[in-house]
Amino acid sequence: MIPNILSLLVFLPLAGAIVLLLIPRENKNVIRSMAVGTSLLALVLSVAVWSAFDRTVSGMQMGESYPWIDFGIVQIDYALGIDGLSLPLLLLTTIISTVAIVASFTIRERVKEYYVWTLVLITGMLGVFAALDLFLFFLFFELTLIPMFFIIGIWGGKKRSYASFKFLLYTGLGSAVMFMAFIALAFKGADAMNLASATFNMVGLAEAFSNPSNSEAISSTFKAGLFLALLVGFAVKLPIFPLHTWLPDAYAEAPIPATMILAGVLSKLGAYGILRVGYGILPDQAVSFATLIAILGVINIIYGASLALVQTDLRKLIAYASISHMGIILLGAASFTQAGVQGAIFQMVSHGLITALLFFMAGALYVRTKTYTLSELGGLAKSVPVLTGFMLAAALASLGLPGMSGFVSELLAFMGIFGASPDVIPQATVIAVIGALGIILTAAYLLWAVQRTAFGQMDDKYRGLHDARPLEYVPMIGLLGASILIGVFPHLLSDVINSTVIEFVSRIGG
Amino acid sequence: MLLFDANWSLMTPEIVLAAFALLIFTIDFMTGVKGKKPFIGRLSIVALLTTAALVVGWNGAQTASIGHMFVVDPFSTAFKVVILVGVALVIGISMYYVDRHPDMYQGEFYSLLLFATLGAMLMVSSLDLITLFIGLEILSISAYCLAGFRKYHKKSTESAVKYVVLGGTASAFILYGMSFIYGLTGTTSLVDIGGQIGTLFEAYPYLVMMSLLFMIAGFGFKISVVPFHMWAPDVYEGAPTPVTAFLAAISKVAAFAIVIRVFFIGFEGIYEEWGFLIAIVAAVTMVVGNLIALNQHNIKRLMAYSGIAQAGYLLVPVAAFVTLDMTVSVVLFYAIAYVMMTLGAFAVITFVTEKTGSEDILSFRGLYHRSPFLAIAMSAFLISLAGLPATAGFTGKAWIFFQAISAGLLWLAVVMIVMSVVSFFYYFGIISQMFMKEPDEDVVTRMSIPVSTASVVSVSLVVTIGLGFLPFLLINLFTSMNWMAF
Repeated sequence: MIPNILSLLVFLPLAGAIVLLLIPRENKNVIRSMAVGTSLLALVLSVAVWSAFDRTVSGMQMGESYPWIDFGIVQIDYALGIDGLSLPLLLLTTIISTVAIVASFTIRERVKEYYVWTLVLITGMLGVFAALDLFLFFLFFELTLIPMFFIIGIWGGKKRSYASFKFLLYTGLGSAVMFMAFIALAFKGADAMNLASATFNMVGLAEAFSNPSNSEAISSTFKAGLFLALLVGFAVKLPIFPLHTWLPDAYAEAPIPATMILAGVLSKLGAYGILRVGYGILPDQAVSFATLIAILGVINIIYGASLALVQTDLRKLIAYASISHMGIILLGAASFTQAGVQGAIFQMVSHGLITALLFFMAGALYVRTKTYTLSELGGLAKSVPVLTGFMLAAALASLGLPGMSGFVSELLAFMGIFGASPDVIPQATVIAVIGALGIILTAAYLLWAVQRTAFGQMDDKYRGLHDARPLEYVPMIGLLGASILIGVFPHLLSDVINSTVIEFVSRIGG
Repeated sequence: MLLFDANWSLMTPEIVLAAFALLIFTIDFMTGVKGKKPFIGRLSIVALLTTAALVVGWNGAQTASIGHMFVVDPFSTAFKVVILVGVALVIGISMYYVDRHPDMYQGEFYSLLLFATLGAMLMVSSLDLITLFIGLEILSISAYCLAGFRKYHKKSTESAVKYVVLGGTASAFILYGMSFIYGLTGTTSLVDIGGQIGTLFEAYPYLVMMSLLFMIAGFGFKISVVPFHMWAPDVYEGAPTPVTAFLAAISKVAAFAIVIRVFFIGFEGIYEEWGFLIAIVAAVTMVVGNLIALNQHNIKRLMAYSGIAQAGYLLVPVAAFVTLDMTVSVVLFYAIAYVMMTLGAFAVITFVTEKTGSEDILSFRGLYHRSPFLAIAMSAFLISLAGLPATAGFTGKAWIFFQAISAGLLWLAVVMIVMSVVSFFYYFGIISQMFMKEPDEDVVTRMSIPVSTASVVSVSLVVTIGLGFLPFLLINLFTSMNWMAF
């Protein structure tokens, strides 16, 4: 095993970005292959981490910890580590980044700059999933903001400037709330533990906050307020209704590869944050707010689905579908059952893969037809059968066709919520039934969208379009393959997450 | 008090710098005041760096004083290094500017800058109201001259007149405030005042408070905090751009140093009486500075309001008192970050406004296409000013934030973080002009950047980014320091 493999993995893309800066901008092909090479290397490293991961351990492993900054009043460690919750997301990040970087061949202008920002973004995302110190977590979290602002603002669509500023301000405000909650956690935790200087160490804080002997020092109202602040902070990134309004703009204006990353990985940062920080440090409050989270999840499902139904623009439709599907993560996580939490993690991975694929397909069609408007599309199955075939497959995966990852994750999440203890969520069945209605809507809008795109009358101008190019097969097969793999062999994934989930649920149920 | 046995060697760096300034003045007279004199610019940089080396090498981290009038301690040493290196960067910025304007008499300009630096050094080393005032006036008067340096230029003259009238008033306020304290105690030594202030306040609460309020108003003007900030945008806009950089970075940091000195040595005993006032001033400054900055189109005015907001951030650790050493460490770290990012930004601003002949934010349009290096560096400075990772500004702001929480000033921390998010809007507005808008002309020509500007930008960039990734290099040193001990 390579020592410090997590640091290596996290900073590899950044190192790649720095090397890219040194290459003259005219050598576009060198730059492209360097970027692809870097992301592939990161993928290989993350697979190595995956295979070296000890599946029987429920706590953190492959940890690295060094004292980093001593602020006097606050002690900050450079601490990384992974468990069954972060590992799947690390791998998801490297997979999505690799296919997104391959899919970036459509970017023709300012190529070097584009790849530099994308690689910096990847470091930020990997860092969030690996960080064990809240300050470090926040640093990486904010680090994702800057590259995304540039990518949307420079390579985006017509309303790119508006979309990039909206993204910046919304997520900036979310981060501000989150940072305040982190600081309250750190200082209150240090208070309870009688430390001279506050610490941001997640593991230490989790102990301080769950230790019953500290219940006098930390009142439960305070904890409840903290949990809500964390929820709001992460809700922007997830996004949870009503803090989602930046999302359709950002998803619709960002260049397709960036949208793949946005929908595939960045939205998971929010979900991961709720699970890791909210549930990890304040499990009792998570239980007492379980109903709220479940209801928010259902609202996301229904709201996203209803808006997706009426969209006339393919990209916006997928964007709202994405909001809808993020609700399933909340629903599963709120149930506090083993199946539910497992379903939430499965859904994070599955949603990442499938949404990225859907956006890629929309982009591939756009390159040929120059439009996202559904009414102008139609009958494309005749001229580009392979592309529309993959699009249909992606839609089926998204609506939960058995044999694909969407099915497993939705099944687990709904099993979880149906089986939720009445102490956690009083009317779990009602919530679950309403949520399940959303799944029917999913089938409706996705199939309808595919029907309006692929079938029906074809406009003459679409005759003789070029079908999938070799380079396009990489993202299509990669993402769909991964989704089918998880659908057929779910134990590949559940193996890794099980011991963490069991420990997670037992701590909460305890 | 007779000081025949005083240890004058403590003043060696100041004496050397004064000698250099006079030398440059003399050379200037002998070679005729007009014309390009790159040699003198380089000599000034040598003078400043020599002095900085002397400050560190000669006096080191010792604590010694000349009869409590002039003191050498880690606090003054650290601030002097920041000031000297900062002025060296200002001269780097000026070298491009002065060559383009024949009405900038170069020798005179550089020697004035050195005299201003001398004043700043005296200020941070003073432990007595008299030396403090002398230092402050040397700095201020040199700065008035510098602001009006382009005497045939209407705006420059206007700015100098405003600055001299308002600055003079502020000095009068400070002096008037000092006179109360002197009248009550019969001493100008801050240490002696600090010893008596508790009993003094009990006996004459109104007089002491009056003195404090006058000083807060006067110093508030010098560090440009709301409501004493009105001069800053006008003066910054009219003054020659390198002088604006000097005012924004050096003059402000030096004034912060004496604020700490005066309030924490002289008035620490009655901290409860003024701490809250400072907190309110800091909050109002952050809110007003950031909100007005949103609406600025002139880059120098925008930087003025941004500088006002930044002064608000810097005041937070003064208001949020945990220990004196902690306050000094936090202020000093953010001051270093602030000087570096501000001077880096001004190096770019000077070059771009000169090249395009416009001070409108639109002159940054498409800068990326004309000079990727400057555009990227400028973005790094702006991101740092906005307080996003991984930059010196982020670490510095986080530290200020931690201190505010430790001191129990939650509300101030909240104001600070919300206003930081507001500031994203205008800082990223400039970034968006540079990267996301196309330049006006059809054929984009690459700008060739003069060596002096490129060096200043590079140095500032390295420090700004370096302190983002490796902040512990400075922070761990700072937290182990005993800044003021006498």
